[in-house]
Order: sequence, then C-alpha cells, then structure tokens
Amino acid sequence: MDLDHFLRDPQSRRRFFRTSGVSVAGASAVFLAACSDDTKNPVKAGDDESDQADVEILNGALDLEFMAVAAYKAGAARLTGDRLAIVKLFLEQEQEHADGLAAAIKDADGQPNRAKSDYDFPVLGTEADVLRFAVDIENTAIAAYIDALPKLSKKDLRSTAASILTNQAEHVSVLLDALGREPVPAAFVTGRP
Amino acid sequence: MASASASDSASASCGGEPCVVIADGAASSAEVAEFERDRRELLRRGFGLGGAAIAAASIPLLWSVRSAFAEAGGTGDAPIMAKAINLERVTIIAYDSVLAGGLLTPALSGVLRRFRAQEQEHADALITSLTSLGGIPPAPPKGVADVDKVVEGLRDVRTRADVLSFLIELETAGVAAYFDAHAKFGEAKLLQLGASIMANEGQHLAVLRRASGQEPVPNAFETGQT
Repeated sequence: MDLDHFLRDPQSRRRFFRTSGVSVAGASAVFLAACSDDTKNPVKAGDDESDQADVEILNGALDLEFMAVAAYKAGAARLTGDRLAIVKLFLEQEQEHADGLAAAIKDADGQPNRAKSDYDFPVLGTEADVLRFAVDIENTAIAAYIDALPKLSKKDLRSTAASILTNQAEHVSVLLDALGREPVPAAFVTGRP
Repeated sequence: MASASASDSASASCGGEPCVVIADGAASSAEVAEFERDRRELLRRGFGLGGAAIAAASIPLLWSVRSAFAEAGGTGDAPIMAKAINLERVTIIAYDSVLAGGLLTPALSGVLRRFRAQEQEHADALITSLTSLGGIPPAPPKGVADVDKVVEGLRDVRTRADVLSFLIELETAGVAAYFDAHAKFGEAKLLQLGASIMANEGQHLAVLRRASGQEPVPNAFETGQT
C-alpha cells in the first residue's frame, strides 16, 4: 500500500490497525477497557474488576508499542547516518515501553499479549516515508494513551502512561525536525491532526 | 492560590456525583527525597545540568514545586490547577526575561517566542478549566522573584548556554509537576488536558536539549527526573 494513500484514507488506517491487533474507533487506535468505558472520571482503584480493565488497556497499549517497534525495525533498513541513529534510539525506547507495559500487566495478574510475527506496513520507499510513517505511528499512540488515561484505575499507571506519551511526543518533535518541519507545531499535543 | 471554597466547588462540579479524588499523591516524601538524591548525585558527577550554580541552587526549589503539587491533592482538582497556572505564568516570565536579554540568535529567539506563546496557551486553558470548576485563578506572579521560587538562577544567566540550561531546568520542573499531577487529577478532562500540556513541555525540552548539544530524548519515560 502506498504511504500517501494510507495516511489519507481512514478505511486503510482502520484496516491496518485491526490487522495489527490494535483496537480502533473511527480511524484512531484506542485502548479498550474490558469492564469500564467511563470517560468522565478515572475508574475506582483496588478491585479485581479495575485490575482486569487495566490489563485490557495495557495490552492494547502493548499491541501498539509492538507495532511501533516493528515499524522502526522496518524503517531502519532504509536509513543511514543521523536519521538511522535517531530511529535506532527510538526503537529501543519503544521496546522499553513494551517491556514496562508487560511488567505492569503481570503485576496486575494479567497475561501480556505477544507481538505479531509480521505487519502489513505501507510501502516505505524513501527516507522521508520512513519518518512520515513514524510520525503517524507515534501520533496514533499518543492519541490512544490520552484516550486511555481516565480509564486507568491506578494513579501510578496514569503517571506512567503520561511519561510514555510525553516521550512519544518528543519523538514526534525530533522526527518532524528531521523532515524539515516545525518541531513543536501546537501547544497541546493530542496526537490528532 | 485557589481558596478552600474553590476546591469545594470543584468537588461539587461532577454533575451531582462525587468526584473521584485520589487522596494521596504519587510524589510521596520518600519518592521526592529519592528524586532529590538522584539530582544531587547527577550534580556531583557533573552531568548535563548546565551552569552548576544555577542547577545547585535550583535543587531545593525544584523539590518544593514537586512537593507543592503533591500536597495539593486530597481536596479536589482546583488547588492542583492553581499550582499549574502559577507554574505556566512563571515560565512565561522566564521566557520574557531571556527574550529581552540580548543573548539569543535570531533563530533561537524565534523558537523561544513560539514556546512562550505556547506556555501562554497552557495558562489560558488551565484558567478556563479552573474557572469552569468554580475555582478562582491565583494572583499572577509579579516578576523574576517568583521565578526564583520555582527555579533559581534567572538573574545569573550570562551566556546563551546559561539561557538554555536554565530553560531546560524550568521545563524539566514543568514536566515533573505534570507527571505528579497525573496521580492527583480527579476529572478525566483535566487528566487529558494535563497530558497534552506535559507532552508539549517535553517537546520544548527536546528542542532545548538539542540546541544545547545534549541528546534530545534521553529517556524512554519522560518524568522530569533527569
């Protein structure tokens, strides 16, 4: 699939995320809570139901992190020099997110999802394509984490999710700069256009 | 500073239902003490905090801004928001000060003007949210003396490198404060607003670190604890 087509077509995005094991609402990835979709206030902490809801959300996040790791691995093959160094670092950091999420899932007595063996990524024909696709993946993750924050029952998980999405916002900034675009385009980073 | 009545109003603002308020903060005394130890250790090793005098002076004050956010919980979202508004306003004063200081290249000046405008957008959004909760925005900070209460050293900035070190320290304090606030906010919209602001402060940090020759994204988890 052509990257421009992927970035512009909501149906292509929806299909891609679904086949990558990521839940979607509209054309956006979301982390679905099993026992609560309460978006008004954070769910109450401390019971088995909220643990189960947290596990569902964290596994959704884990799926997206696995996808980001795979996307950076795929993209790294096309890059050289400074851009390759950037992508290698970000790949490592996405893997750290995945490891942290898997640990949190186990702490909540859950079973972490596994990475898919392959992903049907759009064609990344140029270095710029790799960076543009990375921006899209990172923004998708940021939007999903922001959506998930009020659904997480435990305060430490909310803070950790915020620290992950802030790291991903920093990735976006560096990637935009590498593309010759404004690195901090908006005062509120939501991951949405 | 939000009044007691402001926080009462916040508590009553959840459509007649009691707001879910987390009673104890993420930044416990032990955690904050550990944070301070880590920072002192970094300083001892001479890592990446720019002018040692600035960074050394800022340590107890950075502790205090984190502590203030931690202590703000338990009585609703309004006191946390008042602290955040103050932090944003103080940051605006700092940006105004360095923009007027004559130490910047035109390109860096343009970047910092943009960041300053974004901090203003944060403050405006937080004030709107606080007001909608029935809270009263805190009195605006008056000047550099109020910046000193968050991170000291603005008066001692002498070079472009000092400017960047100071702003990195200040933006780091902002990220740390929002990181802590995520364990405190009761309202979903405030969690999401706080996250969108924290992420923008992280982007500021990435640009500032790069401009000062540092790795722009040194940590996979951006908590404000460098």
